[in-house]
Amino acid sequence: MAGLKFCNVSKLYAGTPALDGINAEIGKGEFVALLGPSGCGKTTLLRLTAGFEVPDKGRVTLDDRVLADGGSFVPPEDRNIGIVFQSYALWPHKSVAGNVSYPLEVKGISLSERKRRVAEALDLTGLTAFADRSPAQLSGGQRQRVALARCLVADPRAVLLDEPLANLDLALRGAMQEAFTAFHQRTGATMVYVTHDQTEALALADRVAVMEKGRIRQFAAPEDLYDKPQDCFVAGFVGDGAVLPVRDASAPAAGHVRINVLGQEIEARSQTLTPTHVCVRPEQLRIDAEGPISGRVTACTYQGGRFRLTLAAHGATLITHAPVRASIGDELRLSLHRPWTFCDPSASASAPVEAHA
Amino acid sequence: MTALPANSISRSSDRLISLLLLPVILIALGPILRLLGEGISVGTGAPLVHAAEVLTRPSTLTALQHSLVTAGAGSLISVLIGSAFAFVVALTDIRAKAALVFCLMIPMIIPPQITALAWMQVTGPSSVLLKTLGIAPPLGSPQPLYSAWGISLLLGIQHASIIFLTLRAGLRMIPGDLVEAARIAGARGWRVWAQIVLPLSLPSLAAGAAMTFVTALGNFGIPAMLGIPARYSTLPTLIYQRLAGMGQSVLAEVAVLALLIGMVAIAGVMMGRLFLRRRSYGLVGLSSQPLSLSLGSKRPVVETVLWGFIFCTLVLPLLALVSTSLIPAYGVPLTFESATLKAWAEVLFRQPVTKRAYLNSLMLAASAAVILMAVSIPLAWIMSRRPTRLTRAVDTLVDLPYALPGVVLAISCILAFMRLPFGFTLYGTLTIILLAYLSRFLVVMLRPVQAAIGQMDPAMEEAAASSGARLGRRLMDIVLPLSAPAAAAGAILVFLTAVNELTVSALLWSGGTETLGVVIFNLEDSGDTVMASALASSIVAVVIGLMAVVQLSASRLPKGTVPWQG
Repeated sequence: MAGLKFCNVSKLYAGTPALDGINAEIGKGEFVALLGPSGCGKTTLLRLTAGFEVPDKGRVTLDDRVLADGGSFVPPEDRNIGIVFQSYALWPHKSVAGNVSYPLEVKGISLSERKRRVAEALDLTGLTAFADRSPAQLSGGQRQRVALARCLVADPRAVLLDEPLANLDLALRGAMQEAFTAFHQRTGATMVYVTHDQTEALALADRVAVMEKGRIRQFAAPEDLYDKPQDCFVAGFVGDGAVLPVRDASAPAAGHVRINVLGQEIEARSQTLTPTHVCVRPEQLRIDAEGPISGRVTACTYQGGRFRLTLAAHGATLITHAPVRASIGDELRLSLHRPWTFCDPSASASAPVEAHA
Repeated sequence: MTALPANSISRSSDRLISLLLLPVILIALGPILRLLGEGISVGTGAPLVHAAEVLTRPSTLTALQHSLVTAGAGSLISVLIGSAFAFVVALTDIRAKAALVFCLMIPMIIPPQITALAWMQVTGPSSVLLKTLGIAPPLGSPQPLYSAWGISLLLGIQHASIIFLTLRAGLRMIPGDLVEAARIAGARGWRVWAQIVLPLSLPSLAAGAAMTFVTALGNFGIPAMLGIPARYSTLPTLIYQRLAGMGQSVLAEVAVLALLIGMVAIAGVMMGRLFLRRRSYGLVGLSSQPLSLSLGSKRPVVETVLWGFIFCTLVLPLLALVSTSLIPAYGVPLTFESATLKAWAEVLFRQPVTKRAYLNSLMLAASAAVILMAVSIPLAWIMSRRPTRLTRAVDTLVDLPYALPGVVLAISCILAFMRLPFGFTLYGTLTIILLAYLSRFLVVMLRPVQAAIGQMDPAMEEAAASSGARLGRRLMDIVLPLSAPAAAAGAILVFLTAVNELTVSALLWSGGTETLGVVIFNLEDSGDTVMASALASSIVAVVIGLMAVVQLSASRLPKGTVPWQG
């Protein structure tokens, strides 16, 4: 099914591209997260979907209907897309029920129908008891749910969420994450979720689009982002670990390749013909008395149940986990287990030079 | 779902902008721009000779000198009073700060001619208060306020609150950690004040002084009440006397004088802006109350001095004014037997002129408040949400009609509306006064509404747009209710200022279109001091009542709406 589709969408702000040729397809009922550092364009992409920004180039379609392209533009009022703002944007002069029923009032829906749907939306978000309160009398999590109820009540074709958990404390965030998942499963709405918190994105979304400098670097399931990053940015931004340049790669066969890294020839996973980098996750670097690699501990932090060690080896910085504390300066033996290699687009040009250096 | 051409989203609101900006520019800025145009044509053509002749006349030079002296001395007095109050209120632990600030603001809101009238009842040989107490100077001795010093003193008291407000705002912008750093370095209370807080607040003080100077320069009520009897003319009173004495034949001449005073005022405004800009340099950091000096055992003394000052400059003159209004005839001492409400009944219910003036002023003030409220909300919204070069220019220029002396605006309005097409004229009608008020007070209304809309999360409107509400509906359902409290406070401020206005209406009134300010001035001028006092007292009661309403609702208003709350 065709949900939301972006074709070569670009947007300039004062000459600098905020979005640079975005191509993506979000299926109907899919829960997608846009993840990236601040200024990467994720919020611009969201606002463009809602209709608050006009793309300079490209086309946005929803359910095969054009929302924006070079010639035409559907204003936000006519898109029937729900949005939950980071600030919640609840109207302080309206009660909880007043906030939730406003989209229906604007659409001119009859009072009895309105009452029924407001009650339903409040029930779905667990707010029935607060219907007559004013937003100022609610806690952060409750306000969040009012914003969600308000955007659902009109039965939108897509729900956009702009860093909805950024203003909540840690405990509440966990609870709201569960609420979002449960909500998505119940309604089956297409959801686009903007965040800079990778834990949130990986935990919630069916697929995550990692963005940087106005481009989507990789758009994949959370486990694929972690396990099979496509470039150095994604490998470094998502998950822990080290990204190292690769030398003397053999011809890959059946998803495997032999590479030279840290002075060792090891076997790695690969889907590219010309791997330039290898991503070593902490669990792929094991402390092993027989291991061929020697590393010196430079930092050790406790992470609850395990220790995270930073090691210096062959001029590179590596990360691994250990069950017991290590002292700074300790020499450890290490072995590598099937890390993932990829071809970084920006490095591929300079890779051969590096290989001979 | 209807698809529109891509550029139409900006176009639909552009139509709204041009619809609204046009009348605003025409009415709010048109007259002033017309006068400036007059100035340019004076500067280039044959009228240059005429202008030079007017400017070099001895009467012009004397009035200019008087204006500069009284405004300068008045500003100095304002600086002393205002800064003392600002430092004590902002930096020490005295009690009842809100009440003190409220009382300090009253002289600013009470119209200057009433201030002058009230003070005249405190001093001088025929003071009812002094006579009742038996300490009046002998008959025939001069009224000490009829002098340059009297004018300067009253200007100083009237405008002290301007210094207070700018300086307090400046003090609040001083980052708390600068003071903390000084204390870590070992500096104690007074040393911190003298070496850290005072130097950092000097730009605000200077900016406030420049604003005070401009306001004092344009003040008409005080020099008119105190200066005209003493034959001591300032530029505004000279313009008034020329125009009142000779009529429209001297219009070209007073236009030159208006340009002169406008020039001096603009120089003052520029200087103020310069200082204000300097204030923003380098002060980065979390601003908070910079210093909290504990006065300890001296606190009651300081409080007594401050409240004593309020008593002398506010309570005493008002007391004198009320006592004058209660005597049967001027010169009779006030006793329990002689006290009468005859003058009150006369001005409020019998005299057709005062009744008419009340009606005119109330109607003008209410119309100005309502019209400006209706204009300001969409105007402020456009300026905040759809800024263009044009809206930014309007944003800057809209200060002019309020910042420039009232006589300048009055002359501008006469020039602009006297000869309209088809032989039509507005001169001598209530409409010309209303138009002048709309021009002058737009900024009083606009700023609080701008503050409210500026603090409004734009996402509130976007949420409404996502809900399907179009621009008109969003303005009605979201922007209007959320900016209404600020608009109401602004409307009360406009009403307060307009109902007492003298300077503009003194030049624009004619038989039948008198305003309260004009009638008080005329009553006093013709020797009806008792009736003038009764009328003035009734106005003071209305003013303080309205101020109290604003004060009591201050906690529900957005920050920055009530000018004397910070």
